[in-house]
Amino acid sequence: MEKNWNSFKRSLLGCVLLLTSLFIGCETNRPMPDGPVSGAFTDDLGREVRIPVPLNRIISLAPSITEMVFAAGAGDRLVGVTSYCNFPAEAKKIQKVGDTQTPNIESIVALKPQLVLVSTASQLEAFASMLERQQIAVFVLDVKKLDDVPDRMRRLGDIFLTKEPAYVAAAEFERRVRAIETAKRPSERPKVFLQISNEPLFTVGSDSFMTELIERAGGTSLTKDISGGYPKISKETALAMDPDVIILSDSEDNKEPNVVLNNSKAVKNGRIIRVNADILSRPGPRLADAVEQIAGSLNK
Amino acid sequence: MTLVAAILLGSERISIFEMTEQGRAILFHIRLPRILLGACVGGSLAVAGASLQALLRNPLAEPYLLGVSNGAALGTLVAFVFLDGYGFARPLLAFAGAGIATFAVYQMAKSRMGMNVERLVLSGVIVTTFLSSIIVLLTSLLDAARLRGYTFWLLGDLSQATYDGFYMTLAAATVGTIVLSSQARALNLMMVGERDAFDFGVEVGRVRMIVFGMASLLVGTAVAASGSVGYVGLIVPHLVRLAIGSDNRLVVPMSAIAGAIFVVLADTVARTAIAPRELPVGAITALIGAPLFIYLLRRANY
Repeated sequence: MEKNWNSFKRSLLGCVLLLTSLFIGCETNRPMPDGPVSGAFTDDLGREVRIPVPLNRIISLAPSITEMVFAAGAGDRLVGVTSYCNFPAEAKKIQKVGDTQTPNIESIVALKPQLVLVSTASQLEAFASMLERQQIAVFVLDVKKLDDVPDRMRRLGDIFLTKEPAYVAAAEFERRVRAIETAKRPSERPKVFLQISNEPLFTVGSDSFMTELIERAGGTSLTKDISGGYPKISKETALAMDPDVIILSDSEDNKEPNVVLNNSKAVKNGRIIRVNADILSRPGPRLADAVEQIAGSLNK
Repeated sequence: MTLVAAILLGSERISIFEMTEQGRAILFHIRLPRILLGACVGGSLAVAGASLQALLRNPLAEPYLLGVSNGAALGTLVAFVFLDGYGFARPLLAFAGAGIATFAVYQMAKSRMGMNVERLVLSGVIVTTFLSSIIVLLTSLLDAARLRGYTFWLLGDLSQATYDGFYMTLAAATVGTIVLSSQARALNLMMVGERDAFDFGVEVGRVRMIVFGMASLLVGTAVAASGSVGYVGLIVPHLVRLAIGSDNRLVVPMSAIAGAIFVVLADTVARTAIAPRELPVGAITALIGAPLFIYLLRRANY
C-alpha cells in the first residue's frame, strides 16, 4: 500500500513537471500574428485584439453575431458559422463548425480563419487561448442592451473596413426603435408576461435584454425585478400576476401560454403575441423587428 | 395517512400568498397537486429505501445511490423521446428501467462471499454513472430546445405536478407501501441473516423478488412524475429508525409518512427560498442527504 502510494506520488510529480514544461514552452514560443494589421480593437472583455488585413476569413460562433456580420456588410467573408445560424438565408450555406456551446475546434482551425467572433455564451477562456496560439484572433462580443446592437454593428464595420453599410444598418436600427418609442401610445402601459418556455415555466428577468425590449415597445414587464436573465418562475406567482398581455417566444415547445395563465386577462382577451424565438432571443439586428411586432400588438 | 399529513402541512403555508381572488386557483390547481404529488413521491422513495435497506442489510442502500432512480430516469427519457412521453408510457418505462437497474446492481454486488457494503455501493456508483452517460448521450443527440424541460426535471422538480400524475403516484405508493409492509416480518428475520430467515420458514427468494419489484414500482412512478429526487430513501428511514427503532413492521409504514413530510418540507423550501424564482427540490434533498451519507459512512461499523 505504502509503496503504491509512493510510486503514485512520483508519477504524479512527473506529470506535473511534464505539463509545466509544456506550458512554459508554449508561453515563451507564443507566436504573434504576423503580416499587416488593421489596428487593435478592444473587445467586450476589455482585451486588445489585433486584426489582420486584408480580413477575408471570418468565423462566427453565435447566430446573433452571424446576423450582425451580414448586416455590417461582411457576410460574404464568413467561412464558418454555428449549426443554429439560419439567417439570412445565405448563412445556411456556410460551413458549420458546431454550436455556440460546443464548437469544434478542429474544424475551426482547419478553415484557417483570421478572426473568430464569439459571444460570451461560449466557454471562452480555454478556447480563446487555444485559437490565439494558432495565430487566430478572437474577438468577444457581449450584447447586453438594445443599444449595444447598433454600437457593435458599427464596431464590426470598423473592424471589417465596411463602415458604410455597417453604419447605415446601425442608423436604420436606431431609427426604427426610436420611431416605436416616439409613436403615440395608450397612457397606461400594458402589463406583460414573457414566456420563454412553457414547461418548466421560464421567463425573463432583470438582466435580459428582452425585459428592456418590452419596456421600449411600450409595455411593462411583470418580471423585470426578478434577478437573473432567464429565471424559472413559480407558477403561483405567474398566476397571481394576471398579465394583460403574454408574449410567447415562439418555438416548437412554446406554442401556448402555460395552463396556470388560462384565467389571466391576456388569455381571456386573446392578447397573446407570438414572436419567432429566433427573432426575439437573438441579440442582433432583427431585434428591431421584434420591437415593431410587439409594439404593434401592444398599442392596438 | 401520507395524504392527511400533506394536506395539514400544505394548509399551514397558505398565508404565504396573500392574493385573495386567485387564492383558490393557486391553492387548488397549483399548490395542492404539487404538495400531494410531493407527499406521494416522498413516501414512495422512503418506503423503497427502507425496504431495500432491510433486504440488503445495509443502511446505505438508497434508490438514488443504487442507480435505481437513474434507471427510471433513463426509462422516462426513452418514453419522452420515442413515445412522446404521454399517458402510461412514462411510468411504465420508468418502472422497467428501475427494475433492470436494481437487478443489475444486485447481480454485480453479489459475490461468492456474499454481499458487502463496498461492493454494493460501488456497483451502484458504476450503474449510476453508466446510466448517466447514456442519458447525456441521448440528450446531446437530441434537439436542445425540446429537452430543456427534461434536463431541469432530471434534477428532481415538482413544478410540473398535475392531478393525473398524483393519482398515478398515489396508486403505486399505496400498493407498494401495503405490499412491503406485509413483508415486514420477513424482512425483520432477513435482517438477522438470510440463512436464519430461511430456517424460520421465510421464502427468501420470493421476498427478495417482491421487494425488488415493489421498490422498482415505487421509484419508477416517483421518478416518472418528478425526476430524481435524491437521498430521500436514505435520510428518512434512518431518521425513522432513530425515532422508533428498527422493527420493519413500523419502519416501513412510518417511512411512508415521514418521507411524505420530508419531501413536502423540502419542496416548500425549494419554492419559497428565492421566490418568485424556484429551485429544484432534488437540490434541497441532496444538500441534506449527502452530508448525512458521509456521516453514516464514517460511523464505519456498517
